[in-house]
Amino acid sequence: MSDTPVLETRGLGRRFGGLEAVSDVSFSVPRGEILGVIGPNGAGKSTFINLVTGHVRPSAGSVHVNGVDVTGAKPWKIAKLRVARTFQIVKPFRGMTVRENVAVGVLYGPHRATSMSKALARADEVLADVGLADSTDRAPAELSTADARRLELAKALALDPQLLLLDEVMAGLRYNEIEPSLELLRRLRDQGLTIIVVEHVMKAIREVSDQILVMHQGRVLTSGDPDDVLSDPRVIEAYLGKRYADRQASERDV
Amino acid sequence: MSDLNETAVEQRTPRPVEAPWHRFLPWGALIVLMLAMLGLQSQLYVGQERTVTTILMFVALAQAWNIIGGFTGYACFGQVVFFGIGGYATAVMMVHLHVSFWLALSLSGVGAAVFGAVIGLPLLRLKGHYFAIATLGVAEGMRELVTNLPRLTGGGAGITVPTVGEDATTAYLGNDGFYLLFLAIAGLAVATALLISRSRFGFALRAIHQDEDAAAAMGINTTRAKVLAFSLSGLLTGLVGATYAFQQVVIFPDRLFDVEITVLMVVMVVIGGSGTVLGPLLGAVGLQFLSEYLRNHYTNAHTFILGAIIIVAVIFLPQGLVNYVREARHSGNFSLLANVRRFRL
Amino acid sequence: MARHWLVTAFLQATVYGLLQGGLLALVAVGFSLVWGVMNVVNLAHGSFVILGAYIGWELNVHAGLDPLLGMFVAAAALFVIGYALQRWLINLVVNAPIFITLLLTFGLSLLFVQGMNIVFSANYRSIQTDYASTSLTFGEVRVPLGRLLAFGIAVLITVALVAVVNRTRTGLAIIATGMDRGAARLMGIRARHVYALTFGLSAALAAIAGTMVGTIGTFNPAAAGGFTLLSFVIAVLGGLGNMYGALLGGLLIGLVEAWAGLYLSGTWMNAMAFLVLVVVLAVRPSGLVGRAYYAARVEV
Repeated sequence: MSDTPVLETRGLGRRFGGLEAVSDVSFSVPRGEILGVIGPNGAGKSTFINLVTGHVRPSAGSVHVNGVDVTGAKPWKIAKLRVARTFQIVKPFRGMTVRENVAVGVLYGPHRATSMSKALARADEVLADVGLADSTDRAPAELSTADARRLELAKALALDPQLLLLDEVMAGLRYNEIEPSLELLRRLRDQGLTIIVVEHVMKAIREVSDQILVMHQGRVLTSGDPDDVLSDPRVIEAYLGKRYADRQASERDV
Repeated sequence: MSDLNETAVEQRTPRPVEAPWHRFLPWGALIVLMLAMLGLQSQLYVGQERTVTTILMFVALAQAWNIIGGFTGYACFGQVVFFGIGGYATAVMMVHLHVSFWLALSLSGVGAAVFGAVIGLPLLRLKGHYFAIATLGVAEGMRELVTNLPRLTGGGAGITVPTVGEDATTAYLGNDGFYLLFLAIAGLAVATALLISRSRFGFALRAIHQDEDAAAAMGINTTRAKVLAFSLSGLLTGLVGATYAFQQVVIFPDRLFDVEITVLMVVMVVIGGSGTVLGPLLGAVGLQFLSEYLRNHYTNAHTFILGAIIIVAVIFLPQGLVNYVREARHSGNFSLLANVRRFRL
Repeated sequence: MARHWLVTAFLQATVYGLLQGGLLALVAVGFSLVWGVMNVVNLAHGSFVILGAYIGWELNVHAGLDPLLGMFVAAAALFVIGYALQRWLINLVVNAPIFITLLLTFGLSLLFVQGMNIVFSANYRSIQTDYASTSLTFGEVRVPLGRLLAFGIAVLITVALVAVVNRTRTGLAIIATGMDRGAARLMGIRARHVYALTFGLSAALAAIAGTMVGTIGTFNPAAAGGFTLLSFVIAVLGGLGNMYGALLGGLLIGLVEAWAGLYLSGTWMNAMAFLVLVVVLAVRPSGLVGRAYYAARVEV
């Protein structure tokens, strides 16, 4: 049981009209790991998350959570399997307080709370964990970017997830806000969560990932140890173009 | 489409956690109001009684629409289809099957709810304008269908519910009886809305309204919640339609499926304050009084003036009276012009 | 012998359906444009059509102006009215939830229809011309000249509209604003003005269609609602903002109604149109011709 990867995809693919946003993505994530997913814009990272969480139906391939085939399942079914996600552009419930936002997840998540008051109390706990204890009564519109991202994370944590998918959760953060976020992620992993982090901020990814997966044009380019992957010439070429990669390679040879 | 093109979800001031006695206040108020309405009946002349009965009917209709349109955010522009189905189901059952009104009433409500579930499943996948127009299409289509089945429904010539003689299974309720029945249905509608708004189901509906993707990602079965809300709204509307049919005795498809009934419902909810319980109540009462007044004093131009009032109300109070008051008290800003600036291009 | 009659009747209905369909397309194309560009569903659209018919009628009756000329006057008048309405009224609620705009335009439709009732009375009118009732005959099929003219003008104007929108600076501004208002504004396009132009254009097109409608049949203010509903159906069928789609949609509806009129009694025709609408919306909200518009459906 503990050998079953938390998440496994086989040949996962999705096309939109003529565009293959994600193509033949097969990999697995062992329990308790932080997997970083990087790739240039348009690589298919967000579509990939949408495919895993059920917001988009795959055109090909399959998704398995803890060995259970969840291909094509609706998002709420996948949420009940303790798979939670954040959205790249945060999606708070704008007419509810911060506390109520998180309480929704407690009420409808895998451990369906039976009463509103219990749900609100649990929401307070989760918010304290992410550092939003002072803002529980405020409207989401009043939050700063960093706090808005924390709320998004808190909403995901309200589902008591075993697998967490974070879509560019560091975007827009100031330099000094990144380290506390990384600390939080490491703490969550140590508590037993498996985390997939889609990111552009290289410093963050390098420091926090146990493994890195690189996507390019919808496919998996390579994966493995962070340092190896980030110095792989193919990865550099994907991000910065062939000429830069060639120059790098020739400088190394000299 | 970019963010800048998105239309605004109403940003309502979030309410903080309530004190315990807050929870019972609306229920107490509802009970007091119902008792008051019961007492009022003996004080009214026949004409006034009929006016109040119509107001009660619209209170129920507005509350019903609010469940799917206000709480869930799916603006149904074909809501009258439930009204018509309720009315015609009752009439047809009483004419052809000689059942009592009370049985017909219950079955019509259930029938309307089932219909809501059946068409809700495909249609609630549509968003915004598409849903509004698809439901409108269903309502218009149903009207045509009813008109074209004369042997069953009497077609365009109408159908008459038997109220006298040996065919009459239930004695006609009369003005007093219908006042009480509509009062009961209105009470039921308000109670349902109150229950929903405070329950975890209402929470789910509001989450769906404010961000359906996020709601789904957090474990809410959005399909089930939407269909349930739609059926519930249909059930209540159907009950009103059934009672209306009995009250009118002779009914016609053009009246029972009149799109203006839907529009009136929507206007009442929007002007009163969509997504609240008090809003549709105030909206129904206010608009009906206004409509009656205009009809009596300006018979020729009353629709014209009504149109002008709708336009002004929608521009200056798009979030409705109740929400406006709540927000203004919270922010201290009572300016109506600020309201206008909020949604303008 | 009976078969021969059936074939003729079918051909006649088909021809009528196409002619009527072309005119319906013109009725709907402005509605579709406004919806596609500004996401405004104009419930007063049908009343613009009828108002155009009344203007044409008034000019014909009081000034002896042929409707083929009168329609330009009607178009100009409705353009001004439409521009003003959008610029100073509807623009105020463009960012509001959809039922706000629906209610606003509904209020406008009440104003217009009742206003016309008061000014012109509810009597049925029609625009009489000498030539409209002469019929051309092709084999066994009769084609009234009036209907043929209406069809021709409708198609001509739709084609001209497409050309104008696709090739002029203003047209491009309209398309750009429709695709991404924020970006368009950042590039110097005055969105308020462009929206008002689009709405005015839509009203002008409705007015021309209305004048033509007036020549081939009778009308009164109560007919406005029916035209609005038909515009819905055709706009959805053809894909929002897609003008050739509106033409196709109009032809389709015209044919469906004509054929249904052959075999079913009168009111089934409307039911058919609605059935088509609901089925299309449920199965393919992008319409028969339009490109898929993902925002129409909830993916979940």
